[in-house]
Amino acid sequence: MTAETQSRGRIPHLSSDKQLTFIKLAVLSMAAILSFATRLFSVLRFESVIHEFDPYFNYRTTRFLTEEGFYKFHNWFDDRAWYPLGRIIGGTIYPGLMVTSATLYNIMQFLNITIDIRNVCVFLAPFFSSLTTIVTYLLTKELKNEGAGLVAASMIAIVPGYISRSVAGSYDNEGIAIFCMLLTYYFWIKAVNTGTIMWATMTALAYFYMVSSWGGYVFLINLIPLHVLALMVLGRFSARVYVAYSTLFCIGTILSMQISFVGFQPVQSSEHMLALGTFGLCQLYAFTQYLRARLSPANFELLFKALLTTLLATLGTTVVALTITGKISPWTGRFYSLLDPSYAKNHIPIIASVSEHQPTSWSSFYFDLQVLVFLFPAGLYFCFTKLTDANIFIILYGVLSIYFAGVMVRLMLVLAPVMCIVSGVAASSLLSLHVKDIEPKVEKHEKKKKHENNLVFRSEVGALFVCVLGCLLISYVFHCTWVTSEAYSSPSIVLSARAHDGARIIFDDFREAYTWLKMNTPQDSKVMSWWDYGYQITAMANRTVIVDNNTWNNTHISRVGQAMASTEDKAYQIMSELDVDYVLVIFGGLVGYSSDDINKFLWMVRIGGSTERGAHIREADYYTSAGEFRVDADGSATLLNCLMYKMSYYKFGLVYTEGGRPPGFDRVRGAEIGNKDFNLDVLEEAYTTEHWLVRIYKVKPLPNRGQ
Amino acid sequence: MAKLKYSFLFLLYVLIKCESTNVDTISSDIRLKNVDRTVDISSQLVKIALKVTLENTGRSPVKNFLVAVEKSAKENLAFVGTKDYNNKDLRLVETSVKGYDYVKLYRVELKEPVNGGGTGIFTVDYVYTKALIPYPNAISQQEDQLVKYTGNIYVYSPYYIASQKSTVVLNTKTIEAFTKLKPFTQQDSNIVYGPYTNVGPFSEKELNVHFKNNSPFLTVTHVERLIEVSHWGNIAVEEVIEIEHTGAKLKGPFSRYDYQQDHHSGPASVRSYKTLLPASASDVYYRDANGNISTSNMKVKKDSVELDLRPRYPLFGGWRTHYTLGYNVPSYEYLYHSGNEYLLKMRVVDHIFDDMQVDELVTKIILPEGSINIKTNLPYPASMLPISQHYTYLDTKGRPVISFTKRNLVENHIQDFQLRYTFPRLLMLQEPLLVVGFLYALFLCVIIYVRLDFSIHKPEHQHKD
Repeated sequence: MTAETQSRGRIPHLSSDKQLTFIKLAVLSMAAILSFATRLFSVLRFESVIHEFDPYFNYRTTRFLTEEGFYKFHNWFDDRAWYPLGRIIGGTIYPGLMVTSATLYNIMQFLNITIDIRNVCVFLAPFFSSLTTIVTYLLTKELKNEGAGLVAASMIAIVPGYISRSVAGSYDNEGIAIFCMLLTYYFWIKAVNTGTIMWATMTALAYFYMVSSWGGYVFLINLIPLHVLALMVLGRFSARVYVAYSTLFCIGTILSMQISFVGFQPVQSSEHMLALGTFGLCQLYAFTQYLRARLSPANFELLFKALLTTLLATLGTTVVALTITGKISPWTGRFYSLLDPSYAKNHIPIIASVSEHQPTSWSSFYFDLQVLVFLFPAGLYFCFTKLTDANIFIILYGVLSIYFAGVMVRLMLVLAPVMCIVSGVAASSLLSLHVKDIEPKVEKHEKKKKHENNLVFRSEVGALFVCVLGCLLISYVFHCTWVTSEAYSSPSIVLSARAHDGARIIFDDFREAYTWLKMNTPQDSKVMSWWDYGYQITAMANRTVIVDNNTWNNTHISRVGQAMASTEDKAYQIMSELDVDYVLVIFGGLVGYSSDDINKFLWMVRIGGSTERGAHIREADYYTSAGEFRVDADGSATLLNCLMYKMSYYKFGLVYTEGGRPPGFDRVRGAEIGNKDFNLDVLEEAYTTEHWLVRIYKVKPLPNRGQ
Repeated sequence: MAKLKYSFLFLLYVLIKCESTNVDTISSDIRLKNVDRTVDISSQLVKIALKVTLENTGRSPVKNFLVAVEKSAKENLAFVGTKDYNNKDLRLVETSVKGYDYVKLYRVELKEPVNGGGTGIFTVDYVYTKALIPYPNAISQQEDQLVKYTGNIYVYSPYYIASQKSTVVLNTKTIEAFTKLKPFTQQDSNIVYGPYTNVGPFSEKELNVHFKNNSPFLTVTHVERLIEVSHWGNIAVEEVIEIEHTGAKLKGPFSRYDYQQDHHSGPASVRSYKTLLPASASDVYYRDANGNISTSNMKVKKDSVELDLRPRYPLFGGWRTHYTLGYNVPSYEYLYHSGNEYLLKMRVVDHIFDDMQVDELVTKIILPEGSINIKTNLPYPASMLPISQHYTYLDTKGRPVISFTKRNLVENHIQDFQLRYTFPRLLMLQEPLLVVGFLYALFLCVIIYVRLDFSIHKPEHQHKD
């Protein structure tokens, strides 16, 4: 860096190297601490609690792992979920997250640091964000220089797109996966730059950690081969890349197959074929290079053509044959929806029903990335101006992830780091370009004038530019903090609202209901609810559920959807078929909680009607003749008499919710409910929480004969 | 060493216990001139208070007398205590009399003997748990809870009673049925039996009262009280409590609508209860396995901290709850020392709610690391558990944990235990030195690492520079 050489020249005896190291260390450690601290809003505002849905499953499995040990965990057959099917947990999850926290927990227990496992889980994601900050610095340093690294590290510390999935308590795979991903990239760049087997092996190990922790590793294992391909096309393929990729592929693939959930996918599924193909291509390419060096051009050309045609032909037929025989599995729906955003909506309602699988809106790009959106193109420009192997990689990564983030909201997470890296490069390059101009030293200024006096007000323009960029970056900091505190820091298991007098009201109904279930129902009761709440029920209430957030069995979920969408007597048949003892519904009509079961009801109808046994359930029956979904007196009779409607609104018709409104006024739908006066025949109210958010019904046994 | 000491203590305890179960005889000199009995069954407990006028008809002074508990009530007895006319506690020893093995008998040791021909006035308190049986045993949400009490119309005593009177306190006018043995009167919410004259020893006649009782029927099925002593000025107390509503079970649905509309709905349910903590309690927390329970209020009063605890859900018959309550108290109020000798004086069990009944208590006391010569002195017999080790921050050999357990406790058991131990004060320096040593080693490692060059060959670009 220029600043470095200048200061070295100025004060040689003070060891500017150490000063610089100190400043770098200070900035980096501050960024790391900040990235931890900014994720603690929810802990300070509420408490140290696990958030949302999936984290509860991860928390439960982690607890199991720490209590029972790894082998029991690996062989765990869970009979608490998917009754009566059960679920093999050990073989259907990515264990990286649980193993990480269990290891941390055990180390701390060994050192007599008595932190309970819940707190380890709550603070794991912020801790890994700190590590991500450091890895980002290292990666950007490899790509550009240390200055860019520091800017990128500071940016990723607070970028909302990443914070959204890594706040304290959001104990999910993504929390550690982003760290693993960037670590893999860092090692990969190192490997490409040095061409040593050691770095390539490190890449493979990091890749293994990534595979063990998140299904998103597929992105990584397609991006790296793509990088290799791009290098080949651009004529930059060298022995370094050959060594790096061959080592990575061999070790990485073998390691990734050790994860039982991945199994033989790396050599069978089409998602991994690019990696395999590139590996083969690498060998061929290297082989041809070798042959070209040994043979005469004419001979070589003949051999090359002959080999190429036979190879392509055999490869083509094998792939077709394997696909037909089913050895290469067809592409999964989630992957299809990456390429064709409308695929899921048209074909798989269960994927489309998840809000995080929806396409991203433009506003959310700005919301999650703010100034990075504008700095990104500038950064790409700087990458293009000095094209290196590493820069090509980051360009590919940036462009690909922008596309994927546009397809699925959830993948904003993959985009955020590259946005920070590229923007870091941009901001650092721009700043070092213009800071040079506002050199206060007079002698230097004169010297410059002699050389390049073609630009007037050079220092003023420079100062102005630095000011503008500074303002932008400051606004970025404020924006990020605001977004984090307002949008991404609510645990969603505890809700809070402001009363008229400004006092905070806490709606703790979910935990109230789950605790009630845990303490006051028989150990072996089966609880039926929509799949969203499955993980929470098993984790917090420790009761068996029919379906949960794993959503691996569409027909089973569909059966629950059918029960919810049917009339009471039809539902009773389904419920007795599934041995249901309790039914749990979420109802927000009293307090105005909008993501309740009535608002999700159309998905239940769609998913319920998507299988053969539910063919009689048609979405159209639940709309009014005008095609509206209404719960008031104009609503369709099918809706007003289905189980979900009755369970949500049982006795609600008597309640006054808002002044000046008739009783039974639903505050979410803004309507007076249409069917008020009804009794439940096959169910009885077992418990309703204080704000009616969760309602639990008991399925009555069949009446005695003769009554 | 500590284990040996403990087993020795245990042996001593067993010895004392053996010695105390010696055989007594019923003195024919003693006659009870008058007994006033109050049977308070207005809460979930049965509290019986006797005011006894004892007469010594013999010549020699009487140094002790016996109190008896019916065979049928033996299992339910949680507490029995006697006081003399100065309201001073008298020592009670369990004993037995030949021929009356089925009766539970206690010998009361008098401080001042009753001389021949003289009289003495004493009070005897009994507390019984689970003696009120809900009948019917399941009620719907709107119904009142009715309970049945089965007792003895006469005062149960090994002595001849000249005159006796019993007042049954119900606190309600809704009485379904009660035993009528003349003379009796029913006034307001009380039933008065007697006076009955000249009743022989060990007389029994069944007394039945079936009445409305909506007072909270909460049983603490298990409480684990953890006291962690720190010599840095703090004592942390944590209680893990399991509570069950042991009144009439809830029959049929629970209607939240009715429960919210009408505050008289669910008369037998418990919405909240008050727990009293020591006045110096601070940093109070109230949570369960799923996190903080946000529904509680704390009031700091002059002599206590009053917590208004609301479980996550109202407790109906048969419903259970489980929570953790913890707080800190400054150690100077409970911990005394001279030199290396320490004395800890704290409550064996603390207040959970009024008229509480505790099925099982486990109290654990964690002493600082390095405490030795531990001597426990309990106010009443309880079974000691083996001393275990507890490891927490900066511990090396672990902290000794003294624990004991007792079943069937009531408020009368809120008494202090005493725990003496020796702690070399120099050990206070151990933990700070550990931290200092660790940081020193860490910095040393970093310094050495930075100054050493581990590379096999020097990178080339350094030469370029």
